[in-house]
Amino acid sequence: MVNGSRLKSFSMRDFFDRERNLGIILMLPGAILLIAFMAYPFFLGIWLSLTDSVIGRAGHFIGLRNFIDLLTDTIFHQTARNTFIYALVTVPFKAVLGLGLALVLNRHMRFSSPIRAAVMMPWIVPTALSSLGWFMIFDPVFSPISWLFRHMGLISKNINFLGDPILAISSVCWANIWRGVPFFGITILAGLQSVPQELHEAAAIDGASVWHRFRHVTIPSIKGVVLIASLLSIIWTFADFQLIYILTKGGPANQTHIFGTYTYQIGLSATEIGMGAAISLYMFPILAVFAILLLIYLRREQ
Amino acid sequence: MKDHPKRGKERVSLSRRDFLKAGAAGLGVAALGGLPLPTKVFGQAPAFKKGTSLSILQGSYFIAPSQDLYKRQAQEWGQANGVTMVADFLNWPDLQPKIAASVQAGGYDIVELWGGWNYLYQDNLVEVGDIAEAFGKRNGGWERYVELSMKVGDRFLGVPHGYSNGSMAYRISWFKEAGCPNAEDGNKIDLTWDEYFAIGKKLKAKGKPFGQALGHSTGDPPGYCYPYMWSYGAMEVEKDGKTIAFNKPQFVEGMRKFIEGWKDAYDETGTSWDDSNNNRAYLSEQISSTFNGSSIYFAAKRDKPALAEDTHHILIPKGPAGRFYWLDTRTFAILKNSKNIPAAKAFLKWWFEEKQFGDWWRSQKGYMLQPVKKYYTDPVWFEDPKMAPFREQPKYGLNQGYAGPPNRKAAEAWSKYIVVDTFAKAVQGGDAKQAIEWGADQLKRIYDR
Repeated sequence: MVNGSRLKSFSMRDFFDRERNLGIILMLPGAILLIAFMAYPFFLGIWLSLTDSVIGRAGHFIGLRNFIDLLTDTIFHQTARNTFIYALVTVPFKAVLGLGLALVLNRHMRFSSPIRAAVMMPWIVPTALSSLGWFMIFDPVFSPISWLFRHMGLISKNINFLGDPILAISSVCWANIWRGVPFFGITILAGLQSVPQELHEAAAIDGASVWHRFRHVTIPSIKGVVLIASLLSIIWTFADFQLIYILTKGGPANQTHIFGTYTYQIGLSATEIGMGAAISLYMFPILAVFAILLLIYLRREQ
Repeated sequence: MKDHPKRGKERVSLSRRDFLKAGAAGLGVAALGGLPLPTKVFGQAPAFKKGTSLSILQGSYFIAPSQDLYKRQAQEWGQANGVTMVADFLNWPDLQPKIAASVQAGGYDIVELWGGWNYLYQDNLVEVGDIAEAFGKRNGGWERYVELSMKVGDRFLGVPHGYSNGSMAYRISWFKEAGCPNAEDGNKIDLTWDEYFAIGKKLKAKGKPFGQALGHSTGDPPGYCYPYMWSYGAMEVEKDGKTIAFNKPQFVEGMRKFIEGWKDAYDETGTSWDDSNNNRAYLSEQISSTFNGSSIYFAAKRDKPALAEDTHHILIPKGPAGRFYWLDTRTFAILKNSKNIPAAKAFLKWWFEEKQFGDWWRSQKGYMLQPVKKYYTDPVWFEDPKMAPFREQPKYGLNQGYAGPPNRKAAEAWSKYIVVDTFAKAVQGGDAKQAIEWGADQLKRIYDR
């Protein structure tokens, strides 16, 4: 009798008392979510990329044929080139403009809190919405920029923002930079505010000019923040879709296609879901490199 | 905009309560007056369960009254047959993804398939040859464009109900100024591409260029580029469905003319236009002519009567190989994963009867091209002479992927904008031969796989 009740209470309490068991139970909901919404789609994507599946018909295993086919696809080459321009070339612009923004916001001024909040708008507004704004600004016939320049006598015909090969990629990059600057700005601002004021004062007493203080005090203390923001920005922008899809759908003549939009075009519009999966999986190793760089840096900082 | 309506999703459904009310009323009337029961009205008793439901998915209509009419017709049939009807109308770009999802996971019984989708989803569609054959036979046979693409192999996987397409809309007064003979009556104008570009050249010099979308957009750019390609003797592929027939000397010559015409006659920002740019540009009087569905004309009639008065349509210009339109077949099809196939078939059979289909087709006022020959002489075509050019289109129609079938390969070429991008590359780079070689190479990649 006594033995029995002891055994019962022992088993329940002991089970939860063991850190291992409790740990597993507490982890379970998170793990299930991760498996259902991250791991399963990811492995399904890998499987699809190795088949000739099309929507509405299960495919057969074809090994790496989709990946090999893409290597000779000139549209895919162009897509890869565009994606690198779109995600990498824009970063220095975002960083420099973001730094400028942060320096301005870091000054003590009236209404600094509402201004800081307002500056975040491009980052907060859903991309689909802000892209529509850019869609109107870049309109071939009714663009306010073209209108203004025409009335100032600077140009004689409308600017072909999204129709000219060079201008098209530049325009989508510009919209991308506009969207990304506030993120850099606010992140760098946080970095700036963590720079001890005494350092600046000490440097000033030692006779350092504004430029020297910026170069030798400010820059070293925000370097890490800029690096992290850059890596995050690259990872996010690499996998972008909305902005391009709304502005150009990859046109004209694929000059603005990036991995996300080309995947959609092949996988869903052309229903070649296997090939589409292969296109998007080409992003994986590239993004993995950036993610690993980010992790290494963060670990070193700790 | 070839024919893109900008309207959201609408849903009409008949609740069970409504149905019971209607049913009770029907029974009451029947008992009192000795009228036939509702099922009798529609022929023999249905071979499907009552109290079930049917969900129908289609693109939203540009002509709103036609959409309302369709809803009423569905309700009418539902009430009489004890089936709850749900009709969803989606924005056009959302239609295909929704159908793809429905193919995979269920959800709809009847779907509207656009060009070539009967090929894409051929494993997932119910054969409806009996309904289609009877409909075609009853109405004087199929129009040529329907015949080219209505079947997958020898099977009807949907019943063809027409196609909406564009033609050249133009400003009468400006064409007159440019010296186009018979400018006041588009029905009397028959132009070659050279002649059409020559008019545009004069008008562009006056600040009123032609407008044409060459961006990544599904309606107008292919609606213009495919016919231009065919009219210069090129095709994506030969009848065997394998041999690429794109890089033809005649087409290279035609493309050179197009590059020149683009510079001389067109608003050159067209490389980034989508299906809606030309509508806006035309309606705000920035351009003098454009390839578009009759939607421009209908919108002008509604909002700018003077502009509508000065607008007419002509047939698309012809080239050395003839005159062509890109016309696929749209069908109403039943998904295999439907739980109510007998009811879906019964509804389609009823809807394609003269009364229902005729009312519906006429309500589109010529916006929907006729799928069957009988409607070629329908009085609708003679109500407004400015719509008459659309009546002639069906005889010039070819499907995407012609001379092959509009199969998965053709769909891939179309959704990758190979033909459209060939034109965009040509006007951007100025090298006709190089652009066409690029296009031929891309087509080969698709058709060789």
